[in-house]
Amino acid sequence: MVKGRRSTTGQDFRQRLRQRFRSWVNRRIPPARVVTLDQKRIFIFPSGTGLFFGACLLLMLLVAINYQNNMSYALTFLLATLFIVATLHTYANLSGLTLRAVRAAAVFPGQQSEFVLQLERGDSRERFALHLQWPGSNETLVNLVEEDSAQVHLHLPVGERGWYSPGRLRLESTYPLGLLRCWTWVDLDLCAMVYPRPLASAELPGLASDQPDGAAVPALGSDDFYGFRDYRSGDSLRQIHWKGLARGMAPQSKQYGAYASRSAWLDWEMFPGVGVEQRLSHLCHWALEFEGRGEEYGLHMPGVRIEPGTGERHRDRVLQALALYGVVGRPA
Amino acid sequence: MKPDQQVPRNALVWIIISLFTLVAPHAERLPLWVLAVYLFAAGWRIMVYQGRWSFPGRLVKTALIVAGFSGIYLSYGSLLGLEPTIALLLTAFALKLVELHRRKDAYVLLFLGYFICITEFLFSQDLLVVLYSLFNVVLVTTALVALHRPGEHQFNRKTIRLASILVLQSLPLMLVLFFLFPRIGPLWTVPIKSHTAKTGVSDFMRPGDISRLGKSDEVAFRVQFDGDIPPQSSLYWRGLVFSRLEEGAWRSLRYYDIPASERRPPPVAIQGEPLGYQVIMAPTQQNWLYSLRYARPVTPGVMSSADYLLFSPTEVEDERLYRVQSWPDAVLDATLSDWRREIDLRLPAGENPRTLALAAQLRARAGDDAELVQAVLEMFSRQAFGYTLEPPLLPSRDQVDAFLFQSRLGFCEHFAAAFVTLMRAAGVPARVVAGYQGGEINPLNRTVIVHQFDAHAWAEVWLEGEGWVRVDPTAAVAPERIEWGLEQAMEGEGSFLSDSPLSPLRYRGIAWLNTLRLRYDALTWRWQSWVVGFDRAEQFRLLNKAFDGISARKFMAVLLASGLLVLGPVAFTLLRKRHQHQLSETDRCYLRFCDRLAGAGVRREPGEPPLVFAARAARELPALAPGIQRISALYVQLTYALEPPADSAALAEFRRAVRQFSPPARAAAGS
Repeated sequence: MVKGRRSTTGQDFRQRLRQRFRSWVNRRIPPARVVTLDQKRIFIFPSGTGLFFGACLLLMLLVAINYQNNMSYALTFLLATLFIVATLHTYANLSGLTLRAVRAAAVFPGQQSEFVLQLERGDSRERFALHLQWPGSNETLVNLVEEDSAQVHLHLPVGERGWYSPGRLRLESTYPLGLLRCWTWVDLDLCAMVYPRPLASAELPGLASDQPDGAAVPALGSDDFYGFRDYRSGDSLRQIHWKGLARGMAPQSKQYGAYASRSAWLDWEMFPGVGVEQRLSHLCHWALEFEGRGEEYGLHMPGVRIEPGTGERHRDRVLQALALYGVVGRPA
Repeated sequence: MKPDQQVPRNALVWIIISLFTLVAPHAERLPLWVLAVYLFAAGWRIMVYQGRWSFPGRLVKTALIVAGFSGIYLSYGSLLGLEPTIALLLTAFALKLVELHRRKDAYVLLFLGYFICITEFLFSQDLLVVLYSLFNVVLVTTALVALHRPGEHQFNRKTIRLASILVLQSLPLMLVLFFLFPRIGPLWTVPIKSHTAKTGVSDFMRPGDISRLGKSDEVAFRVQFDGDIPPQSSLYWRGLVFSRLEEGAWRSLRYYDIPASERRPPPVAIQGEPLGYQVIMAPTQQNWLYSLRYARPVTPGVMSSADYLLFSPTEVEDERLYRVQSWPDAVLDATLSDWRREIDLRLPAGENPRTLALAAQLRARAGDDAELVQAVLEMFSRQAFGYTLEPPLLPSRDQVDAFLFQSRLGFCEHFAAAFVTLMRAAGVPARVVAGYQGGEINPLNRTVIVHQFDAHAWAEVWLEGEGWVRVDPTAAVAPERIEWGLEQAMEGEGSFLSDSPLSPLRYRGIAWLNTLRLRYDALTWRWQSWVVGFDRAEQFRLLNKAFDGISARKFMAVLLASGLLVLGPVAFTLLRKRHQHQLSETDRCYLRFCDRLAGAGVRREPGEPPLVFAARAARELPALAPGIQRISALYVQLTYALEPPADSAALAEFRRAVRQFSPPARAAAGS
C-alpha cells in the first residue's frame, strides 16, 4: 500500500513538473501564427550520438595520457573543439528560420487532418535536415538549399467536434555533425476544424419547414437531369460536366430537375429529446445527404440560420456552423 | 526505415574514401590480407548499394569476426601488444562497412575512424604524418556532414568545404587546450610495440652487422650543439661498449654480470667548459642513447652506466629528446679495477692461434702499450688491408685469423674486433665501442644529422695514466671515412646506398633537390623538438613565463577569454544576416516610408498590398492621407507598371516624396 501511495505521489510530482514545464514553454514561446526562431526559442543539447562521441573523446584522451603522445592530445582537443564549434553551426542551422501557419483542413472525427505550414529561411544560408513533427503526426525532413521556403504537409488524426489543436510542433535538427540536437517547440496557433461525426437517423423526422415550397422528400428522385449552364465558382465538383471539359469545351455545370423546387430546412428541433452532440451528428448526416443529392437545404439552429442552398461553399458553411456549435474560445 | 536514419549516397562515398585514406599510413605495418579485407568490404558494400547483394546475415557476420580474430592471431602469433590490437581495430573498421545500414552504424564507423587517426600517431608524429592525419580528420568530418544531408543522391565534392571550415575553426581553440591542459603521467601501463623491428646498432656485434646498417639511409638521430660543431673526425657517438666475446659475437655486459660495486660510473674529474648539445633520436625499440664522451645527462630520466654510456630505463619507442653535457678530454677510469682488467683482457681459449702469435711478436718488439697500439695501426695502414661495405664472409671459427691473414677486406667492425683481440692478447685492456661516427651538417639550422650508414665500431684501450683512450683502426685503413664520411670512403667501390636508388641522399649533387631535403630536415628538427619536447616540465616553464606564475584563476580566465575570442568571430560570421536579394532603390525607399508609418503607429502587415495598406493608413492618419496616397501610388507605378518610366525623374520624385514625408511620432499622433 505504501508503495502504491508513493508511486501516485511520484506520478503527481511528475504531472506537476510537466505542467510547470508546459507553462514555462508557453511563457517562453507564446503561441503565434508566425514564429521566427531566435535564441529565446531554440534549445540545444548534446544528442545521444554526442554523448557517445564524448565517450570516444575520453578514450582518446586516455590513449594520449597513457602513451604520453602529444599529437594524440592535439587530435583529442581538436575533436573536442569541433564539438564546441558544431554547437554554433547546429544552432545556426535553425536560427532565423520562420515558421508560418498556412492552413489546416477541416475534417470529420477519425480522419487525419492535413496541416500545412510554410518554412522560410530569412537569408541565403543553406539549411539541412530540418525535421518537423507534431506529436502523433508523420515526420517530414526538409532541406532549404536552392529554395528559400518550403511548404510542409503534416497529417495527424484529430479529436472530437470543434477546434482541434495539435499542440506544439517540434522542429529539430542535428545537422551538421549529429553531435548536438537543436530543437524548438512552437505553437503555431493552427487549429483544424472538426465536424460532427455524421450519424444516420432512419428518416428525417418532423420535417420542420416554414417555407411553403419546402417539401423536402428526400426519397424523390433528385437526379433528374435537365440541362447545362456555365460553371460558376462554388458549384459542386459533382455537377461539373467533366466529359465536356475533357473535350475542350468551357466548364459547364449540370442542372438537376429537383433543384429549385425542393428546399429543405434542417432544423435543430427536428430531433427532440436527443442530446446535443447526437443532434449535431444527425444534422451533419442529413446535410451531407442533401448535398450528395444536389438538393437545396438550409440550417436552422439556435443562433444560426443559413438560407437554403447547395454547393461546396454552402456545405462548408453548414458544416462549420455544426462544428462550432457551442464551441467557445475560437482560436484567432 | 525513417528518412533521417538512411545513409545518403553522398555520405556512403565519403565514408568509403575516408576508409581507404585512413588505412593507408598503417599499410606498411599490416599483413597484406587486411588490405584485401578493405577491398572486399568496399566491394560488398557497393554491391549492396546497387541491390545485387544483400547485407550479411548474423551467421556470416559472426564468421567474418571469427575469421578476423584468427587471421590476426595467425599473422602476429598473439592478440596482445599494440600492433595486433591496432590490426584488429582496422579489420573491424573494414568489416563494419559491410554492415553499414543505418545512420547509427555510420556513427560507430566514423568515430572509430577518428580513433584510427590517433593510433597512427603512436607510430609516428612526423610532420607529414600529422598533416595527413589532419586531412583524414577533414575527410571523416565530411562523411559526418554528408550523413546529415538527407536526399543527396549524388556524390558532392563540395561537402568537404563545410568540414574544412569546421576543422579550421576548431584549430585555434585546440592550440589553447593543447598548451593549457595539464600533462600527467601515464595512468596505467598500456600495450607496447612488440612487433616493431628494433633498429640501429644492436647489443651484440658479429662481423657484417655494421656493414648491413651502412646500407640504410634512415636518420638515426639529430644533434644540435649549443656552441660550435666540433670537427667531424671527433664526432664519435658512443652507444654501446662490448667487453665480452662469446660465440664469435662481441656483447655488452649484462647488468647482473657486473658486481654491485662496479655498477655505478666511477667519478670522473672534469675541467673546462662542457660541450652542450641536444639530441632527438628516432625510435629504436632499444634502451641505449648516443653521446660524445664523457657525457653527463641533463634531461631527467636519462641514466649513466658504468661504461660512461647513457641509457633510458624504458625502450625508446617514440622520438626521444635529451640534453647532454660532454667533456671530451676527461680521463675515464684513471685506475682500473681488478675485475675490469680481468674482463677486458679475457679472450676465448684456443681461438685465433696466429693472431695470438702475432700479438706476442709485436709485444716483444714494442716498448710500452702506446707504442704497441701505434705498431698495430701501422700494420693496418702499411699492409694491404681494404675497407669495403661488402666484406667477404668469414668462417665461424678463428675469424680474426681469417681476417688478418687471408681476406684482409673488412668494414669497421672487422678492424675493431681484430684490433681489440690483438691488444688483449698482448696484455693491454681493450674493448669494442659501437655507435655512430660523424654526421651530415645541415647548414640551414646547424644540426648534425646522423644516418644509419654512419654506424661505426672502434676500440678503446686502457693506458696507464691516460685511462681509456679511443683508437680507431678504421682511420688507419680509410682515413677519408673519418674525415669525410662513408660516401667519400666508398667512392671507388660505388657501393654507397647502392640498394636504395631513390634515396634523396644519393642526389646530393643536384643542388635544388639537396636544399629541399635539408629544408625539410630542418623543419623536421623544429617540429620534433617542439612536439617531442613539449612535456610537463616544458609546459610548466612556458606557462610560467607567459602568465608570470600559474594559478587556477588565471588558468580559467585564459581558457574562457580565448574561448570567447575564438568562438565570437565564428558565431558572428555564422549568424550575421545575409540578405539574399539586393533590394532595389525603390523598395528601400518604400520600406523607409513604411518604417516611418510604423513609427507613427500604423504597421504594414506582412504581405499587405501597398494600396490596401495606403488606404488603411490614410484612414488611421487622415492628416497625412495625401502624402501616403501619393507615395503609394508612385511606388506602385514604379514597381508594377507594365512599362516602367524610362527616365529617373519618376524615381527622383518618389525619393523626394519619401524624404519629405515625416509623420509625427506615435505619442504626438495620439494626443
